[in-house]
Amino acid sequence: MKAIYLFPHQSRIIGYVCILSYVPVMVLKKILHNGYNNQDPVSKLADAAGLLNSEHIFTAIATILIITGLLFIAFSKEKIEDEQILKLRLDSLQWAIYLNYFILIITVAFVSNNLLRDVIVLNIWTPLVFFIIRFRWMIFKLNKSLKEDLA
Amino acid sequence: MKNIIRIERAIMNITQAELAALIGVSRQTINTIESNKYVPSTILALKIGRVFNKSIEKIFILEEND
Repeated sequence: MKAIYLFPHQSRIIGYVCILSYVPVMVLKKILHNGYNNQDPVSKLADAAGLLNSEHIFTAIATILIITGLLFIAFSKEKIEDEQILKLRLDSLQWAIYLNYFILIITVAFVSNNLLRDVIVLNIWTPLVFFIIRFRWMIFKLNKSLKEDLA
Repeated sequence: MKNIIRIERAIMNITQAELAALIGVSRQTINTIESNKYVPSTILALKIGRVFNKSIEKIFILEEND
């Protein structure tokens, strides 16, 4: 069975490095800007007057770091990427999309403007986060059932 | 669907890990196939058949409710 394109196994490490480097980028931003701006990333991107000013560059770098980091973690191959793993991967992806949009629907229906805005901004990475959690959990369960059977 | 992989393995005297290595899947996959939690693809079933030198109908058996 031909799998969808996945990154090599080791690229998961690049993912972790991307996510961890979010912190130094934000610290550097604070040092340079010397002030706390409590806006969410999307408004920052939208409000930044023009491209390639410092505010825009930092916000863009931070957002891209998180997204590429999560993509690498989510879609790097397992040590043995066989058809069962592929099935778990696709199941988890569907599950993550359902959960994400379920939460979005609930939020749109019952929540007022400011929080709604936060949730929509979080939606930049929640599908990937839900996917990673669910996929890891399924693999953990798989390994656990193997250990129980061998015991 | 049930299968007799566990029995065939015992006859050939190979472990789940060895069978997994022979057909290029993880040990977990062999384990879940044996315990009827996962239905392998046709390609994987044929590979298993080749290891045991048997046709796949002899290894995988359809049940009433399939």
